[in-house]
Amino acid sequence: MSGSDTADTARAQLNAAMQRLASGDRNALESIYRATSAKLFGICYRILGDRGEAEDALQDVYLSLWKRADRYDPDRASPISWLATFARNRAIDRLRSGKVRKGSVPVEEAMDLSDAAPLADELLQSAEYDAQIHHCIETLDDSQRDAIRTAFLEGKTYLQIAEMRNVPLGTMKSWVRRGLAKLKRCLDA
Amino acid sequence: MTEQEILAAEYALGLLQGAEELNARGLMASDTGFAALVAAWEDRLAPILDTIPALTPADDIWPRILDALDQPEPVVEVLALRRKVRRWQMATGLSAAAAVTLALLALPLMQAPTQAPSETPSQAPQPATSDAAAPLVASIPIGDTQLRLGLTYLPDREEMLVSASGLTPDGIHDHELWLVTADEGAKSLGVVQPGTERRMTLDHAVAIQIHDGAKLVLTREPLGGAQPGNDAGPVVASGIFQET
Repeated sequence: MSGSDTADTARAQLNAAMQRLASGDRNALESIYRATSAKLFGICYRILGDRGEAEDALQDVYLSLWKRADRYDPDRASPISWLATFARNRAIDRLRSGKVRKGSVPVEEAMDLSDAAPLADELLQSAEYDAQIHHCIETLDDSQRDAIRTAFLEGKTYLQIAEMRNVPLGTMKSWVRRGLAKLKRCLDA
Repeated sequence: MTEQEILAAEYALGLLQGAEELNARGLMASDTGFAALVAAWEDRLAPILDTIPALTPADDIWPRILDALDQPEPVVEVLALRRKVRRWQMATGLSAAAAVTLALLALPLMQAPTQAPSETPSQAPQPATSDAAAPLVASIPIGDTQLRLGLTYLPDREEMLVSASGLTPDGIHDHELWLVTADEGAKSLGVVQPGTERRMTLDHAVAIQIHDGAKLVLTREPLGGAQPGNDAGPVVASGIFQET
């Protein structure tokens, strides 16, 4: 079996498990956990910057998934993409709830994301390796790209990023908005 | 991009806070077009998450999840507050003129765009513990002042956002938010910090009570909030979240 077949199989199995989950199948939840927990834990840890917090967040992600299995819309994104976004959003909620002291892993500590290529050795990727977003985000100005990545990967708000980068809030907003418009044009091209 | 599309992207990225975030959450619930724009941005951005290295969680996480699945829903311990609320209800009765009845804005339930038609189509409201995922939003005027307290309850996350950005501290009082039910009395949801936004996770039992129409009451307290053993302070505003 080629690598791409294996990846297809993994995706198909995850799809099937997500559908079984909605009927209250615990084995489905376990299959999903086995297939996705390392990826989702990586995301929670990246955002929360603390192993214990990330573990709590991970537990919360799967419990929420269990309780609200019907929220997954199979017509929308791939299940791993949806789960990754779900985990990211839950981790950010946790970060902002004020319970987490430490916050996200500083970029330089985690990895240099400005050079980060998608990790090709994972079976379950959110999308194709050559997802257009990776190309398009490189077309942005440094300040635009930095702000968008910081918001997305560290859960920072406009105000926080403006303070971190020591620029006025209005400047930060206009960087991001111009960056988003450019990103959209590139993605739609 | 249209203003709506920019807002959707900003919301998907998590850039917003305060009134802007509340506004966007309201739109998420009431405007399926906006929700679809947010979903589209989430899908566009999701591949960026592939750049985060995977990390294997400890072996005990899965057993912890299984344990949590088997645990009964938590019960809120409110015995200590029951006595308090009775006295407080009397006090409230005496000062009923001072209490303000609130008009709460309740947003309609959002139907997922691709949701299959149910077998028994009906206009009946969903049961309280159902998947009524639309946020409930309240903008609460305080007393006869211009001040407002913004509350957004997010059923799917069992969280409430409390926006007190319009309030300024007077240096003498704090305002404390309470959930009041007929059975269990009052449960403090905490002191409202003037000028701030706060996101609170509600435990499941409280979330159920909000679904069931429990009353929310705002009282004026000494700095730091009501002291255990003392009566709660005067009610300055009250209301319930309602689904329509």
